[in-house]
Amino acid sequence: MNAETNGQPAIHLSGLSKRFGRTWAVDDLSLEVPRGSTFGLIGPNGAGKTTTIKMLMGVLRPTAGRAEALGLDVLEEPVQLKQRVGYVPESHHIYRWMRVEQVIGFCRAAFESWNDQTCQEMLDLFALDPRKKVKHLSKGMLVKLSLLVAVSHDPELPVLDEPMAGLDPLAREEFLDGVLRTICERGRTVLFSTHTLDDVRRLADTVGILYEGRLLVHRNIEELLAGTKRVRTTLRDGAAPEHLPDGTIWQRVEGREWSVTVSDFSPEKLQALREENAVDHVEVIDLGLEDVFKDFVKGKRAGL
Amino acid sequence: MRIDPRSHVPIYLQIAEAVRSAIAAGVYRPGESLPSLRALALELHVNPNTVQRAYDALDREGLVYSQRGKGLFVAKEAAAFAQTHAQQVVRGKLDEAIAAAATAGMSAQQIQAVFAAAVEGLTKMEDHRS
Repeated sequence: MNAETNGQPAIHLSGLSKRFGRTWAVDDLSLEVPRGSTFGLIGPNGAGKTTTIKMLMGVLRPTAGRAEALGLDVLEEPVQLKQRVGYVPESHHIYRWMRVEQVIGFCRAAFESWNDQTCQEMLDLFALDPRKKVKHLSKGMLVKLSLLVAVSHDPELPVLDEPMAGLDPLAREEFLDGVLRTICERGRTVLFSTHTLDDVRRLADTVGILYEGRLLVHRNIEELLAGTKRVRTTLRDGAAPEHLPDGTIWQRVEGREWSVTVSDFSPEKLQALREENAVDHVEVIDLGLEDVFKDFVKGKRAGL
Repeated sequence: MRIDPRSHVPIYLQIAEAVRSAIAAGVYRPGESLPSLRALALELHVNPNTVQRAYDALDREGLVYSQRGKGLFVAKEAAAFAQTHAQQVVRGKLDEAIAAAATAGMSAQQIQAVFAAAVEGLTKMEDHRS
């Protein structure tokens, strides 16, 4: 890292958009990820995660807007970018007829900063057999090989697109180990997308929830969880909710029970909810990342 | 040591509590070193930044101290801490239980009765053993 790039974010997306036919897969997305942090991108299927990552990696041209990685415009400086990022794509298109050692030799020749030690550590960690042909690797082994070749040139910015999808629990844990070793290198920025929210909680500093091509939230995970609370109340007989609290992201009425999830929760908001609605019993519930994620997406679907 | 990624409790607080418990249990004794950031991050499967935050919190409490280039060590004061830690943990759990009882509309007297009955059960078990 040189002084010139020190203050810049590792990732800078501005107004990034992609249209497929009539659908905006990614819609005016702006995002900054500071250097040295780990960013987890989550969202339901079809939210635009892979499209966003492909544009960030310069393999898909945006309809509008711009993507910068490590201070480089991803479309204008693809060669330099490729040397400094490590990309684990959603589908692993590694030459199936090659042996593992041939794949490694091939990549080793392509990257100036290839690190034999990192490569060997990952080979040992994953117990990958260098003699094996790629087409004979299990899904888990293929994903591990994909990670190995993506990070053995010690990239400043590894980007992983749903890397753990379809792995058995043991393979998942081993892969997680590999990702963690990557994160542990100082000053490194990591972006990964996933459906496994436990992994986001474990690995990421910051989380982004993508829905229909837009970022619903982009926040430090602990701040998000500390601020997002569900309030469960009992409505008085015949009463209905009258005033939704500010920052309501989801609500549901079931008989007398009214549940409402609020962002940036405060005692004042709770007080206002009590005063403005005909409710008796009020209870505040802490939420884990999975509930927060679901409430944001369900609330948006319901038009909140 | 382990942490629960599904809990709402911040991961760094979970790590700090896990280390406190380990110190109280004598896994790490005064003067001994704690695992490095990298080692603990790999063991718990969490981001090393999060481990750093937990270690900073323990440092502020005076339970551990850092030596430049050598890592983190358990402080002398930790010996006294170990004895009160169990009490603090139990107190925390009791506070939670009491809060739940109050929410359910129980009076202080009713809560006391439930507590007394629970303790009586323990006394009987101890009598039985001896």
